[in-house]
Amino acid sequence: MVDGMIKESDILLGKEGMQTALDAGASAVRITINRSCMDLVGTLNGEIDKVNHSLDSSMSIQLFVDGRYAAFSTNRLENAALKAFILKSVEMVRIMAKDEFRKLADPERTEKGALTGKELDLYDENYDSMTPEKRVELALDAVAYGRCSATECKIISEEGEYNDCVFDTIVMDSNGLFCRHTETSFEYGVEITVQDEAGAKYSGTWWDATPRLKDLSISTCGKKAFEIAKAQIGPKPRRSGQYKMVVDSECSSRLLTPVLNALSGHSIQQKNSFLLDSVGKKIFSEGMTVMDVCRTAGETGSRLFDTEGVATTEHSIIENGVINEYFINTYISGKLGVKPNIEDATRPKVMPWPKPGMDRDALMKLCRNGILVTGFNGGNTNSTTGDYSFGIEGFAFKDGKITHPVREMLITGNLITLWNSIIGVGDDARLCKSKLTPSLAFEGVDFSG
Amino acid sequence: MIYDKNYYLDTFNVTEEMLLRLSAEGLNRGGDYSDLYFENTTYNTLFLRDSEVSSGGFMTDYGVGIRVLKGEKTGYAYAESTDYSAMLSAARAAASISQGPGLSRSGELSDSQIAKLIRDAKDRAATYTPIEANGGRPMRRFFQGLPNPAADRYPMKYEWRKAEIASFIPYLKSLEAAVRARDERVVKVVATLSACQSDILMYNSFGEMKYDTRPMGTISVSVVFSKDGKIENASASRSFMKGSEMLTDAIVEELAEKVTKGIDERFEARRPKGGKMPVVMAAGASGILLHEAMGHAFEADFNRKGQSIFSDKMGKRVCPEGINIVDDGTMKGNRGAVNYDDEGVPGQYTYMVEDGVLTSYLHDRISAKYYGVTPTGNGRRESFRYAPLPRMRNTYMESGDACAEDLIASVKKGIYVDQFSNGQVKIGEGDFTFFVKSGRLIENGRLTMPVKDINIIGNGPEALADIAGVADDLTIDDSAWTCGKGQSVPVCCGIPTVLINNLTVGGE
Repeated sequence: MVDGMIKESDILLGKEGMQTALDAGASAVRITINRSCMDLVGTLNGEIDKVNHSLDSSMSIQLFVDGRYAAFSTNRLENAALKAFILKSVEMVRIMAKDEFRKLADPERTEKGALTGKELDLYDENYDSMTPEKRVELALDAVAYGRCSATECKIISEEGEYNDCVFDTIVMDSNGLFCRHTETSFEYGVEITVQDEAGAKYSGTWWDATPRLKDLSISTCGKKAFEIAKAQIGPKPRRSGQYKMVVDSECSSRLLTPVLNALSGHSIQQKNSFLLDSVGKKIFSEGMTVMDVCRTAGETGSRLFDTEGVATTEHSIIENGVINEYFINTYISGKLGVKPNIEDATRPKVMPWPKPGMDRDALMKLCRNGILVTGFNGGNTNSTTGDYSFGIEGFAFKDGKITHPVREMLITGNLITLWNSIIGVGDDARLCKSKLTPSLAFEGVDFSG
Repeated sequence: MIYDKNYYLDTFNVTEEMLLRLSAEGLNRGGDYSDLYFENTTYNTLFLRDSEVSSGGFMTDYGVGIRVLKGEKTGYAYAESTDYSAMLSAARAAASISQGPGLSRSGELSDSQIAKLIRDAKDRAATYTPIEANGGRPMRRFFQGLPNPAADRYPMKYEWRKAEIASFIPYLKSLEAAVRARDERVVKVVATLSACQSDILMYNSFGEMKYDTRPMGTISVSVVFSKDGKIENASASRSFMKGSEMLTDAIVEELAEKVTKGIDERFEARRPKGGKMPVVMAAGASGILLHEAMGHAFEADFNRKGQSIFSDKMGKRVCPEGINIVDDGTMKGNRGAVNYDDEGVPGQYTYMVEDGVLTSYLHDRISAKYYGVTPTGNGRRESFRYAPLPRMRNTYMESGDACAEDLIASVKKGIYVDQFSNGQVKIGEGDFTFFVKSGRLIENGRLTMPVKDINIIGNGPEALADIAGVADDLTIDDSAWTCGKGQSVPVCCGIPTVLINNLTVGGE
């Protein structure tokens, strides 16, 4: 048995814990067992700088007692300690106010085909053969320090981190639910800081992650981070004004996340959303279509079930600007009196528009002139109005080609307005991310500088 | 709060001999220094939503982290059990940062081997302890001995663990009532109480043992308002390293006042015209400026690696004369207080900038060794799952001698900001941002149109050099500030009213 995998004894412990809670008066119980193992090797300037070994296990317990509800978690999984914890937890639930809408997910809606955890093909059998020596070798092989150079700058530091992990989750409930998800992950990330002749410093980061080691693009990360850092040398101020904006796929999820948050049933029920009363309405541009592509085998972020055990489905969340759904779990379904679906977007993908196959360079050509955003620096969104303001880093471009880096700039506006200003949606989302957001192009964006 | 030593040994089911053995195991491959960090945390939460406390919960987290240092290199592993075999396995994983053969790779170390490992490492690790190399500054401390109860910076009158959690439900309801009583446009109120108590035991290869029980109580409220079909939200929190005695009527009134104050202005507020302009930062929460503009860049790990924009500025002027900026771990009950940091170094009052000159980075043991200075008690971590890093505690600027009203009056066209949500910094470039929840335009020295939801961006060294006035009204903001740097730690911040000549303000 690999460290980090759930054992039969854990499952038995979960079942016993469920029975302990039922015997103590719980009417329903959901238990989530998690185990994971991660090993990390860090490098600094071409030498090993740190090694970490992490082994985690925990049990989360949702209890429904006398029409009341509360949630608990512990990492003390010895029999006696867990039993005492559960008995104490059942008593704590009884102090809560009654809430008729707290229920387990309807068994009709739960996933029935996630029994081994490996149905989505996200487990790399080669993980079992990873050794400390192999991890060190991978981390050192990836080093760019001493291998990248340029006349206009020198590398001040390179920090790289290789890690691999396995995580294993089982969700079970007193209605007979049993779902398992097992996944391996191999990741390498690197940050390179360079200094130009004037003494100014610039940093660049790049990373890759994949469920399978053979698919990890580890050797190119350092070079890419170096190029990103180097490209920022010599920034020039850019006058405040409205520009066309292309957002690189590396950072474009920043503009999608607050939209998805606003579709959360919790936000809707609490009136804390700028997308209240929007289902079935065309709120965004024709060019905005977001699919949930969550059951694709072998792809990072795919899941067969949510935390309630409800089966995921592949479907459109937003289609040609029309909002098709809020994310409604069992509880919010009762509170709002609407049909439940899934608690969140699992693996959302912004679909290409107006044609497939474009990347950020194609979008810059489409826009001709504007500002390319390659990263965000702080900022936030007002969840009730959709008003946003973000610090950005990036480049001015002219006739579709980058001219110079810009610095200390901000974009400010409203997300509904922004997503109604789409010029184009690329087809270059990074598969290592759980949100598949490609490069995006917008017009009329307010930049301050 | 500090119990008797045996309380901690019993909590973690360990003996001093086991601690010594594990420490030696960490050194077995050639490490210079090893330490152990035991943690037993319990965490209660109650949520009030839709006028009822109908959810909440309880969490326990227990384990030990074992760190081995070889020069500036770190080996780290942890166990979620304090069974000796689990801890031994973690110690051996951490020991692998050194590649030596080891006196014993699999079997138990003998008593004589343990004695030799500890003795040899003490010589090699001498520089992880203080040396007199801090420019003659009076910061030399030895960290031997047991915790000094006189330095107990977070005593609890009523322990969270011994409290009846149900007794706090009326408190959350009184908070909701106080909010609704102040404003009839309130649509939704979410009030949250989180109560945390952690037992910490630390031991290192110098034989130093430190222990601590750390409380953290946080009460927060988020409110949604509706007016003429428009919706706005606001939130406020208070967080202290105190027991349940912190839940006073005064805090209820303070939070209700803070979360409803200025909501008229939020409904009226607009985005300003963006661009560079003078910014007056109100006393209190504007301390986020210090946290982002220089605090992170003063963390010594970024500097020893040459990554920070301040890495060649030690001893140089970074602000106008008269400005003092501190990172303070000594304020009793404050969210950033530490009796000892997470490496067993005493909490301190650390001047980073004195009279405008950069005089100290924020150090953990690794960076202190690198720079040959005393650790400043900034080695902090989120939990036993993480190795400590240099982190801020309670960062603020000491009061100046100007008057806040005069600073506003001196601005012809600019902006005044007083509430914030989050910030960020790029360490190498020094570019920082913070998000402004509310403020006003300044026109001809007077506060005029309300503004909201704008980001402000600046460059750390340039912003510090651009400070044009510091008022005499230092205010510490006791909100639930949390700092992220790969791992989260509770922090605090404060500042007097400050005028900065030139920052870029987001706008339309």
